[in-house]
Amino acid sequence: MAESTVHQSRSRDLDKLLLRPGNLVAPTFEPGAQLRDDLQEYARILVVGAGGLGCELLKDLALSGFKNLEVIDMDRIEVTNLNRQFLFRLEDVGKPKAEVAAKRVMERVSGVNIVPHFCRIEDKDIDFYKDFIIIVLGLDSVEARSYINAVACGFLEYDSDDKPIEETVKPMVDGGTEGFKGHARVIIPGSTPCFECIIWLFPPQVKFPLCTLAETPRTAAHCIEYAHLIKWDEVHSGKTFDPDDPEHMKWVYTEAVKRAELFGIQGVTYSLTQGVVKNIIPAIASTNAIVSAVCTLETLKLVSGCSKTLSNYLTCVEFFLILLYFGISSCPSGCGNHNCLLQYTIHVTESDGIMLTIEMYNGMEGLHIKVTEFVKDKDCLACGPGVLLELDTSVTLQKFIDMLEEHPKLLLSKASVRYRAMNLYMQAPQVLEEMTRSNLNLPLFELMGKVPKDIVHVTGTTSRDDKKTSCLRKLRLVFKGADAVTDQDMAVGA
Amino acid sequence: MVGEELTEQETALYDRQIRVWGADAQRRLSKSHILVYGMKGTITEFCKNIVLAGVGSLTLVDDRAVTEEALSANFLMPPDENVCSGKTLAELCRDSLNEFNPMVRVSVEKGDLTSFGAEFFDKFDVVVLSFCSLATKKLINERCRKLSKRVSFYTVDCRDCCGEIFVDLQKYNYAMKRQDETTECELQYPSFQEAISVPWRSLPRKVSKLYFAMRVIERFEEAEGRKPGEICIEDLPAVLKLKKEICEAQSLNESHIPNALLERLVMGAREFPPVCAIIGGILGQEVIKAISGKGDPLKNFFFFDSMDGKGIIEDISDPNPKG
Repeated sequence: MAESTVHQSRSRDLDKLLLRPGNLVAPTFEPGAQLRDDLQEYARILVVGAGGLGCELLKDLALSGFKNLEVIDMDRIEVTNLNRQFLFRLEDVGKPKAEVAAKRVMERVSGVNIVPHFCRIEDKDIDFYKDFIIIVLGLDSVEARSYINAVACGFLEYDSDDKPIEETVKPMVDGGTEGFKGHARVIIPGSTPCFECIIWLFPPQVKFPLCTLAETPRTAAHCIEYAHLIKWDEVHSGKTFDPDDPEHMKWVYTEAVKRAELFGIQGVTYSLTQGVVKNIIPAIASTNAIVSAVCTLETLKLVSGCSKTLSNYLTCVEFFLILLYFGISSCPSGCGNHNCLLQYTIHVTESDGIMLTIEMYNGMEGLHIKVTEFVKDKDCLACGPGVLLELDTSVTLQKFIDMLEEHPKLLLSKASVRYRAMNLYMQAPQVLEEMTRSNLNLPLFELMGKVPKDIVHVTGTTSRDDKKTSCLRKLRLVFKGADAVTDQDMAVGA
Repeated sequence: MVGEELTEQETALYDRQIRVWGADAQRRLSKSHILVYGMKGTITEFCKNIVLAGVGSLTLVDDRAVTEEALSANFLMPPDENVCSGKTLAELCRDSLNEFNPMVRVSVEKGDLTSFGAEFFDKFDVVVLSFCSLATKKLINERCRKLSKRVSFYTVDCRDCCGEIFVDLQKYNYAMKRQDETTECELQYPSFQEAISVPWRSLPRKVSKLYFAMRVIERFEEAEGRKPGEICIEDLPAVLKLKKEICEAQSLNESHIPNALLERLVMGAREFPPVCAIIGGILGQEVIKAISGKGDPLKNFFFFDSMDGKGIIEDISDPNPKG
C-alpha cells in the first residue's frame, strides 16, 4: 500500500485525499506523493479580500498545506469587523487588513508564506493575476467580482475547434455571505458559466424610485433615503455627504425621523439609518467560516484534480430569516410525522436556455445544502471568445479607442489597450500615458505586427445600473483585407 | 457584559451581527454559559465562532498534553513548542480564545468529565462533546437531562473528511416564521441513547450511510475498549465483521454501509481542517439558535461528506415517543 512506503506529510489528512484513488476522481488524477508535494510547494493561490471570508480562507488554505499564498485588500480594519474577522484585534484598528491578516496566519501556521497587497484590485497589472493557478474570491460586491472575473476569463483562448486551450484556463472559486446565507461556486472559464454568464442570479440592487422618496414614502428606508439623497442637497448645497462623519449621519437620522412622523411610518432608528445609507451587509462569523471552508475544499480538489469538482455551485443556506429565494415551505412528499430526509430533483428544460439540476436535502427548513448546475453563455462578454471587431488596416489606435465608446456591446470609455505583453496605450499612470501616447496616431494593424487577426484586452470604465465601474474586455480583432497582404508572411500569434 | 443592556462597546463590536439576530438575542447570548470537551480541530473552530458571537462564558475540558499532531490542524496553537510546553490543550486554546474576544470569560476545568456531578452541569446552558466514547456520550447526556433546567446537548465527530453532529434540545418551544406568519412550535428530541436505539430497518430507505457507518465504528471502539479515534487500518477486517453482525441483528441489508466508507473512517481518525471549519461553523449556528431561541433548530443529526459536498439532516427518533 502506497502509504507505508511514502513519507507522511505533516498534513496526513491531505494524504487521505491524494494518496488513494477514489470513486469520484477525474481521469487526469494520478494518486501519489509527487502530486501532494507539488501542490504544497509550488501552487500559488491568490485570495482576493482579507475580510470576513478572506481571514477564514487564509487560515483554511494554510492549514490545508498550501505554502504560497497572496492576499489583496484595499481596506483598513474597523471595529465592526472584529465580530468575525478573527485575525484582527482591537489595537489593529486602522491598519491595512491584508498586511495584518498575512502576518497573523504566518505566525500560527509554520511553513506558509503569505504576501499581502494593500491596494485596489484594479491597481494591479493584469499580468499580476496570471501567475496564480487559482484565484479565490472573498468579496462583498458585484462590481469587484465582475472585474476579477473579466481578468481571469480574459486569459482564456479558444483553439480552431472552439475548444478552450487548457493552459489559458484560470479557475476561480467564489464565496459570498450575508447573515446566515451564503454561497460557494467554482468557475472554470470556458467550461462552467462564468460570473457574467449568470449575473442575473443576483437579486436586483434596491433602488427606490425618486417619486416614492419625494411624494409617497411607505417604509422607514424611504424616509432615510429621502433625507440622504434629496433633503441633504437642498439644505447643504455644495457640501458632499460623508457617511463616515457622525454629524452628517445624525443629521440624516433626525430628518428621517421628522419625515417618518409626518407620514406615520414606524421603524426609523439610528442603526437602520447607518445600514441604509452605508449599505451595510449584516454578517456573522459562522457563515463565513462555513463558506470559506467549502471554497478551500473546492480549491484543493481543483488543484489536485482528485475529485469531481462539486457540480460547480454549492449553496449553504440557513433559513433563519425569511428566505424569498426558494419559496419552498413544506415537504412535497407529504411524509407525515417525521422530518425525514427528503430529496427531489427539478429539471428546467433547455428551452429556457438554462439547465438546472437541483437536489435538495431539507429537514423542516432548518439547514440545507444544495448542489446546482448551470450552463455557460457562449456569447458571454467575459468568458466567451470575445467581441468580434472587424477593422480596416488603416484604423489608428486613437480611432479604435473612440470606437469602443460607441460600440453597443462595450460602451467602454477611457480605454487602455493591451496586446500580448505590450501596453499599446495606457490612460494611467502619467508616466505610461506619456510613453504610449505616440502610439495613438499609428495604425493598430501595424502596432500588432500586421497579424490578420488576434486578441486584444481593453480596460476602461463602463456604466452598470447607473454606476461607473472598471471593466475589462477581451476583443477578437480581424483586419479586413489583411489575409491577402500577409499571405506570404509568417503569421504571428493564433 | 452581565447587565441588562448591551454596553456601548458591545454594541459597536457586535453591530454587524445584531443586524442579523437583533439586540435581544445578543443579550441572551451574553448571558449564556457553554461547556466543551475535547479540544480538537472541529471544537476549536466552534469555540472561535461562539466566542466571536459573544457568549457569556466558555469552559474548556481537555487535560491532554499538546502533541505535534494537534499543532498542525489546530489554529489556536502557535507552532512554537516553547510556548506550548507544560500546558494542556485546553489551557493553550483558552489563551488564544481570550484574544478573539476579551469580553467572553474563557476558563479551563481539569479532571475527568464523567466524574463531575449534576451540580457541575447545572452551571451550563449548553454542553458540547467531541471525540467521546459511546459510554461517555450516553452518560453526560443523561446527567444533563436529569437537571430541572434545560441544558442543550450536542456531540460532534469528524473523521477522514466526514462529520457528524447530534443535537438534543429535549422539549423545545420556539416561534417558527414562514413568510409573514409565525407559528408556535414544539419539538421533542430523543436522548442519544433513544436515538441510536431506533431500529435501523424502521428508518427511511435513504438515510445517510454515514449514520450507520459511525455507529459501527462507535460500537467497535467500545467493544475493544479503545479511546475514540484509536483505530487503524489493521482493524478493518474486524470492523467489517462487526458490521456484518450488526446488520444481521438489525435486519439491514449490508449495502447500506459501503465498505469503502468504513475504510475511510477507520483510516481517518485525524480531522481535516476545512471539514472542521464547516462542521464547527454549523455547530456554532445551532448553538446560537438554541440560546437565542430564534430560528429553526436542527433535529437531530447532521452529516457532511466532503467527497460529494452534501450536508444532510436526518431525524432519527422513535415515531411514537412515549409520554
